[in-house]
Amino acid sequence: MKHTLFAGLIAAALAVPAYATDYTIIAPAAPGGGWDQTARTMQEALQGEGISDSVQVQNVPGAGGTVGLAQFVSSAQGKPDQLIVGGYVMVGAILTNASPVSLADVTPIARLTGEYEAIVVPAASEIQDINGLIEKLKADPGAVSWAGGSAGGADHIAVGLIAKAAGVDPTKINYIAYSGGGEALAAILGSQVTAGISSLGEFKAQADAGTLRILAVSSDERIEGVDAPTLKEAGLDVALQNWRMVAAAPGITDDQKAAISADIEKMVQSKTWQDALATKGWANTYLAGADFQAQLDKDIAATGAILKDIGLVK
Amino acid sequence: MTTFDFLLQGLSVALDPMILLYALIGVTLGTAVGVLPGIGPALTVALLLPVTYGLDPAGSLIMFAGIYYGGMYGGSTTSILLNTPGESASIVTALEGNKMARAGRGGPALATAAIGSFIAGLAATVLLAFVAPTVVKLALVFGPRDYFALMVLAFVTVSSAFGESARKGLISLFIGLALALVGIDQLTGQARLSFGVPQLLDGIEVTTLAVAMFAVGEALFVAGQRGTVDDEVIAVKGSVWMTAKDWARSWKPWLRGTVIGFPIGAMPAGGADIATFLSYAAEKKMSKHPEEFGNGAIEGVAGPEAANNASAAGTLVPLLTLGLPTTATAAIMLAGFQQFGLQPGPLLFATNPQLVWGLIASLLIANFMLLVLNLPLIGLWVKLLTIPRPWLYAGILVFATLGTIGANPSPVELSMLLIFGVMGYAMRLYGYPIAPVVVGLILGPMAEQQLRRALSISQGDLTTLVGSPVSATLLALSALALIVPLILRARGKGKVLSQLASDED
Amino acid sequence: MSGTTPQGSAGTRRPDGATLVVALILAAIAVVIWRDAARLPQAGGYAGVGPADVPRWIAGGLGGLSLWSVIEAFRSGKTDREAQNVGPILWIVGGLAAQLALLTTAGFSIATGLLFAATAAAFGKRNLALTVPVGIAFALVVYLLFAGLLKLSLPAGPLEDLVWGLFRGHNGGTPA
Repeated sequence: MKHTLFAGLIAAALAVPAYATDYTIIAPAAPGGGWDQTARTMQEALQGEGISDSVQVQNVPGAGGTVGLAQFVSSAQGKPDQLIVGGYVMVGAILTNASPVSLADVTPIARLTGEYEAIVVPAASEIQDINGLIEKLKADPGAVSWAGGSAGGADHIAVGLIAKAAGVDPTKINYIAYSGGGEALAAILGSQVTAGISSLGEFKAQADAGTLRILAVSSDERIEGVDAPTLKEAGLDVALQNWRMVAAAPGITDDQKAAISADIEKMVQSKTWQDALATKGWANTYLAGADFQAQLDKDIAATGAILKDIGLVK
Repeated sequence: MTTFDFLLQGLSVALDPMILLYALIGVTLGTAVGVLPGIGPALTVALLLPVTYGLDPAGSLIMFAGIYYGGMYGGSTTSILLNTPGESASIVTALEGNKMARAGRGGPALATAAIGSFIAGLAATVLLAFVAPTVVKLALVFGPRDYFALMVLAFVTVSSAFGESARKGLISLFIGLALALVGIDQLTGQARLSFGVPQLLDGIEVTTLAVAMFAVGEALFVAGQRGTVDDEVIAVKGSVWMTAKDWARSWKPWLRGTVIGFPIGAMPAGGADIATFLSYAAEKKMSKHPEEFGNGAIEGVAGPEAANNASAAGTLVPLLTLGLPTTATAAIMLAGFQQFGLQPGPLLFATNPQLVWGLIASLLIANFMLLVLNLPLIGLWVKLLTIPRPWLYAGILVFATLGTIGANPSPVELSMLLIFGVMGYAMRLYGYPIAPVVVGLILGPMAEQQLRRALSISQGDLTTLVGSPVSATLLALSALALIVPLILRARGKGKVLSQLASDED
Repeated sequence: MSGTTPQGSAGTRRPDGATLVVALILAAIAVVIWRDAARLPQAGGYAGVGPADVPRWIAGGLGGLSLWSVIEAFRSGKTDREAQNVGPILWIVGGLAAQLALLTTAGFSIATGLLFAATAAAFGKRNLALTVPVGIAFALVVYLLFAGLLKLSLPAGPLEDLVWGLFRGHNGGTPA
């Protein structure tokens, strides 16, 4: 009985798609996180659409993705079957952790999805709009406490950019870091802090339920279904997308890069991928080639500058 | 909606065939690890974390809770038949239960343990359903300072209130706090105690520490003991059914055990083992047959077994409503929630009522499954006890390292497993409690962050820490919990406290 | 539970060695934490409590506990403890070390199989000719279950490649 069970399980184990690896995707995070989910979704789409016979996902968690990035740079050199998932958080982590490798050491392929930041206050707050918050910030920066994700992450950077755009010294912001928007939410709803900032998705349900008020979003244009202006409309020149991307190994040839880019583009256009985006609530912010490279360079420069301003990077 | 409506809604989730399957897997695994010495629910959940990320969150969490409940049931079997507790919460059960088994009354002992566990588990889960919404209302107004005060209370109770020596408890706690410093400081992004090793930037994984201390440390400790003879499994002779007299003597201890176990489990750093000791002491005092204690008194099995199940349900109160783990298993379940992007706490009840109430309702069903698994099918579990030690511990270490490798296949992680395993061994050897290390590692960063957040919000004003009624009360309680045991020890009453000492999982 | 049998012997006044060692370790940890805190910036911000402050408190606490332990060691005197078997301990530690050393090169099954055999040896099964193959086979089954069915990423080595290749009827590509 036991033996037949084992035999059955092994047979089932072997029934999974072929082992011959067409792509290995490094998810520089623990199983379950956003990057891991991105990698696993890519795996499903690439295999499901027959773009690749077999895709393996490997988790190398640690330090905002920089541990995985470092391993990728050293072990994948010149290998066209190696991919790594990453994101905007990595840009900041590379700087704050003084990582020996950076995104310049890999071959960025495309931006895949992204989320925008939302600035919220509890429904009971006296602050009615973004201008009201900025007024308070200008009057006494220390009295405005912001709850958001971890120090040096996209949320923190966004607050720094807002302060700078409003003419307030970014080192004076009273930013209170939580491990993520979800944990910060309790403090925001309980009116423990003045305002909250995190990915729109973290706040959407509470805003729809009327317990939170969204003051502004960090997108370039208004987001459908969200009754809030962009920061730009409010006169603050801040736009920020917390994006996720895929990159290839360093030292690959242009032909190899073109082949990978073609595979990824095919994947992004596939039904499997689009369906997965819809079910997971991820926005399709696909951007590839020179446009992506330009956007990436811009983000890296802006992030480096603001992290220096906040005082997180010397 | 009332609690009752929510529970009904939860039942509709829990009766989904897939969810029932998850619950069944959970309680079966839980019973198995409860039966096997050297491997407990904390370890099992830790092992399953990396393999469940792709599965259904509700199903996985229900499975984890099932493992926790099952562990409490299974432990009694080993205690009664082998005189070696399957897990720490069943230590007391061995006192009377094994004597009963030797006297040929193993059947009734197993039955009173299983039925007591069932009644307590059921009652305590219903209590959980009714208490949790109240705590949630209270918790919604909890700010950083209140959480900080709560952590202080947990530190005091876990380290100095119980245990043979306050010094040893505090040393364990501070080792945990020191380990908690490793990694990036979340509030400023500064790397602390990382020595340039990038893998250390994320800090020390609770699961790695728990697996090392509980599985590796335990294996080393058992292996190192001289002259260990393989304990003999006592066959269940005679009737497995309880006589009318057994019933008459069991039902009150079951209820008393529930009443003792539930609040103790809900307390920071309470834990199932403390509840079982208290229940045992209470039964011994109230029994009409005190002379039977030590020779196989059925009350001494019924009460503690009810207490440990009730405390498992009690543990879920702070875990679900405050996101505060009070035992090692709860801590690892917290990691499980976070793996699915869920943050236990008051908001979970608002944002994910389906999941929370489905979990609670599933636990009610799990209790019925466990009753069936542990009474009619008891023979299966007894067979598990006959696995020879070499194979058993070899298998345990394979799975323990599998859990670590699966979560993070880095040599740094495995080295930590080895180092902490040896540390856990040494601590066991010299009588230093393990639980405070794990609690320190989990609660240390939380306490630090909440303190600094509270001070940030008040812009450095220290009086904010006692500025809310909740935080002031909790800090006053902490002071009491620190001072009273000192007085007790000074008056030579330390014995009572040392009885309450044990490692837990 | 504790495995000690403390017997405070009133006659001899020799300090307890184990407690002194504990005191020494605690003092060493305190120094390491204190020195690490010294290089951190004083970035308390509005809280006034920065990243270096809590480590200093903990280092202070450890220092205090170290002193307490020294006093305790002299006060309670030498404590007799049950002797431990060193052999089995070394087997298990050696098994874990072997697994750690071989994991990335030899793959999960071989490395973990050795751990299995070493642990069995610690508990009395010293017949390595039997336990090593049993361990490797057991670990391979575990590997196939967890890596194959549950998609856990476990390090593969020559043995895993061979088995996948055999089952597929062709030799699978070498994984990175």
